[in-house]
Amino acid sequence: MPRPKPNKLHDELDALLDGRPVELTDELAPLAEAADALRAELAAYQLDPGVADRHLERVLHGSATVVSLPDRGQPNGWDLRRRLAAVVLAAALVLVPATMASAAALPGQPMYPFKRAIEELRIASVQWSPSREATERTRVVDARVDELDRLVELQMFNQLAPTLDALKQAVVEATAAVNDARKQGEVAAEAQDQLNQVVGLSKQVLAKVADVAKSTSLPLTGATRSAINTAVAETQNVLAQPGRQTGSGGSATAPDPNSPPASASPGSGSSPSSQTQPSTSAPEQPTTTQAPAPTTTTPPTTTTTPEPTTDSTLTPESAGGGGDTGDEQTGANGRATEDADPADQAPADSPNP
Amino acid sequence: MLGFGGEREAVSKVGLTAADLVAARRREPAAVTRVYTAYAPALFRFFMAAVGDRHQAEDLTGTTFVSAIESLPRFRGPIEALGGWLFQIARHDLYDHRRKQSRSRIEPLEDNLNEAARMAGADDPEELALDRVDADRVVAAMRQLSDDQREVLLLRMAGGFTAPEVAEILGKTTGAVKALQHRGLASLARVLGLRSPEQPQERPYPSPDPGRLTSQEEEER
Repeated sequence: MPRPKPNKLHDELDALLDGRPVELTDELAPLAEAADALRAELAAYQLDPGVADRHLERVLHGSATVVSLPDRGQPNGWDLRRRLAAVVLAAALVLVPATMASAAALPGQPMYPFKRAIEELRIASVQWSPSREATERTRVVDARVDELDRLVELQMFNQLAPTLDALKQAVVEATAAVNDARKQGEVAAEAQDQLNQVVGLSKQVLAKVADVAKSTSLPLTGATRSAINTAVAETQNVLAQPGRQTGSGGSATAPDPNSPPASASPGSGSSPSSQTQPSTSAPEQPTTTQAPAPTTTTPPTTTTTPEPTTDSTLTPESAGGGGDTGDEQTGANGRATEDADPADQAPADSPNP
Repeated sequence: MLGFGGEREAVSKVGLTAADLVAARRREPAAVTRVYTAYAPALFRFFMAAVGDRHQAEDLTGTTFVSAIESLPRFRGPIEALGGWLFQIARHDLYDHRRKQSRSRIEPLEDNLNEAARMAGADDPEELALDRVDADRVVAAMRQLSDDQREVLLLRMAGGFTAPEVAEILGKTTGAVKALQHRGLASLARVLGLRSPEQPQERPYPSPDPGRLTSQEEEER
């Protein structure tokens, strides 16, 4: 079998495409430019979150009809419309219950990770527009507030502390997104208004949660009560001055193993414009002694002040949640060999039956 | 780097673990969602660039993912090989799709163009064509490459695979993949009007018939 000739240019181009440092020669420059143009165009192809919902539902519940591609002849105009109607109907039948089911999911329930993943997909799909991202992140804050409210109503107290952490994280990220939108000159007033409203609502629900923790008539263990108190205090701190907590938000919690790394911009924490709440709305001081430092002593930069003991108490189920951080293992698959016969390189598993 | 024996600690470059793989085989919602979130965007980009139609690309992405999850109990490789395996299924589905398309009856062009324009939200086919020329200039230019070149570039750029990984997916040598990506990009640069010193204009490459290989490619195989 004839072997390909070694070619330095091929290797250099390959290194360039992998992002390894290579001197950009005259020969490589147009190729790199073409590769960049292709990458940029491909990056614009984003999967619609609604479609992602449909695909996941099809796999998880096996109830969706697979949208079949034409196998016998191309449909004419009437057939196409009829098929389109059938697809829309099938999608509606599947999508509506799935979306409703996952939207109603609470922390600790089986559909909850699905709900969080959908939120991440929705955010990822609007990241090209800072103002849309801000709106989407505000919606996430609203979802966390709603969950807290329902957890209290259903007396699911053991989920309160992690949900408070998730709320705190969501507020920090939403605030950073609003600030980013403003910095980039986008119209962020609407997003800011929405965020202010949701933050106001959060304070009301938080007061409710604080009452739960104080109540002696409820069946709460000491550890749960303490965790709730601490989480309430921290969240109140963030709600009072959301912009200043950006840096600490990412390190304090890892709300869900499904969530990608926090995308809050570290620099936005120092922005004075992020003071959405006046200082008169000081947070209610909790009874616990584990309350974080008062806001007057909070450093203005993004320096983090981790509290390891608090973290472990607050997010017991999020340990190991950093597994999805996308560690680069270039060339991790060591089975491919440079000069082996293609037949020897065939994978062990046939992809399709 | 871990092989088959070290599955427990292995993490793929998209952040999936061996535990995710085990859980996805059991169709646990969280794990299936993680696998989907990790690979569906890349699969969709691959299909979009290959078929040039959003609805078809969405359907192909869904079909591939469903078959992958259904076949997952038969996948015995390490977690790092999951992406390559998924894209092998994707290629298989793409070939299937193309075969079915090629058998299709010929419909009045006007009907198809009007339908496509309507589905894309354009007023008429002309507007749709102009929109697409602007938005998909590079991907459209890729249609002038040979099938092999196009596939290698898509797996590299849309799938995010390294040359050895692409070689394994396609059953070629790494050297052949590097050569194909080089010539593919050179042709692309030329079609896009970028300067390409490697290949003078008079060289009859790529082949006018993408299905046919040039002698040089044939040699590399």
